[in-house]
Amino acid sequence: MIELSRLSYRMIMIDSLTIPPGITSVIGPNGSGKTTLLRLCSGIAVPEAGVIYIDGKTPRETDVGWVNEFPDKNILFSRVSDEIASSLRFSHQPCGEIDVAVNTIAQLMNITYLLDRTIKELSGGEKVLVALASALVEHPKILVLDEYDSHLDETRCLQIEELIRTSGVPYVIRCTQQMETAARGDYLLVMENGRITVSGNPIEVFASLDQTSFYPLSWRCNV
Amino acid sequence: MRLQLNAARACRGDWSLKAEGTFGEGVHLVSGDVGSGKSTLALMMAGLLSLSNGTIARNGISSSMISLQFPEYHVTGSTVAEECMSWGLDPGPILSELNLMDKQDRAPLTLSRGELKRLHLACMLVKKYDLLLLDEPFSSLDAREKERICKLISQRTSGITVLFTHEQTTFPSVDYLWEIQQGKLIERGEMPGALHHWTHAPVLIKKLIASGKCLKNISPSDLIEAVCMT
Repeated sequence: MIELSRLSYRMIMIDSLTIPPGITSVIGPNGSGKTTLLRLCSGIAVPEAGVIYIDGKTPRETDVGWVNEFPDKNILFSRVSDEIASSLRFSHQPCGEIDVAVNTIAQLMNITYLLDRTIKELSGGEKVLVALASALVEHPKILVLDEYDSHLDETRCLQIEELIRTSGVPYVIRCTQQMETAARGDYLLVMENGRITVSGNPIEVFASLDQTSFYPLSWRCNV
Repeated sequence: MRLQLNAARACRGDWSLKAEGTFGEGVHLVSGDVGSGKSTLALMMAGLLSLSNGTIARNGISSSMISLQFPEYHVTGSTVAEECMSWGLDPGPILSELNLMDKQDRAPLTLSRGELKRLHLACMLVKKYDLLLLDEPFSSLDAREKERICKLISQRTSGITVLFTHEQTTFPSVDYLWEIQQGKLIERGEMPGALHHWTHAPVLIKKLIASGKCLKNISPSDLIEAVCMT
């Protein structure tokens, strides 16, 4: 379980929240604090007060995969294969194993054709795919995805979700503005003004949003 | 007023995109896979990318603007208020409409990505450009804001508006549909007839068509109406 208790940081105030394993989506208006919450869960930001524990450890003691909402901010290196290999190289893993890991994740994500490209030659969506591959290559305990789906088509999103589910990453926290994506997750948090207003499984949570634009259109259309 | 692409071609290494067709007044939607060339086509149509072959002719278009996929690429001011002024606009009305008044002295890049996108779309949509090219206009916007932008797009009474997007559910009413496949721009034609040939249609729209629903267009209210009426 991920447990947040008496948490405060800038605009975020969360008294108590428990997030179960699986894929958790975070939704809410622009500027409601979704990215800030994700930064706290990934250990990039440290709470001013209160604690976050992921199976008993703080985020900074946990292996975290992180995809930034600004695709260019994810990238350190100029060649795609170097970028995907970077976290493994930083942790001094043997070269042979790194090559195998990079090729494996690229094949799983259908992006082998991008490996020899430079970052400059990538489209917006391709940059996000490279950032995702770089985050997944190290088999993190928690994968934190900030609006990864806003530059991907639906087919790609579904493929990636399937891959994340089969990869065995215990915790995925993602924020999204696609309610259809949120509806497919296991757990859902709604944020407003730095606070969690509703949490639970998507069916329960969306039931409380029935009268708003946040209700999934496919549910409204009974599809 | 029209934008005419005559065997226009852009190349990057061994990849190329070929585009032929005429974009008249109204709202056009261009869809295609990740990396298919949507942003490249937007840049070509904006005149920001030199063509390796062919021509793009503008007839009767006296002003044009492109909204780039990444809002951070548009930032020129050092504060949110300056950013509005860089568009030649008074920040007051725009920032109060966007609920960003209390953030007017902040650096634009400290806004959330959705807020930044809202800011630059708001500045751009106040102006009445003849040719408006919107690359992924809905990315990062929340559900309410997507609806608001759709409304503003629909309120454009003249000019050519082209949307390049992966959006799955929130569209304005669209007049014309295009797709990019295997390095080529393909004309699917006018709505609603074009819907039946739309290979990149979102799953929801594909399911509604497959179940025999009669869609007049693709805005959320069109979809709900199709469900209720047929």
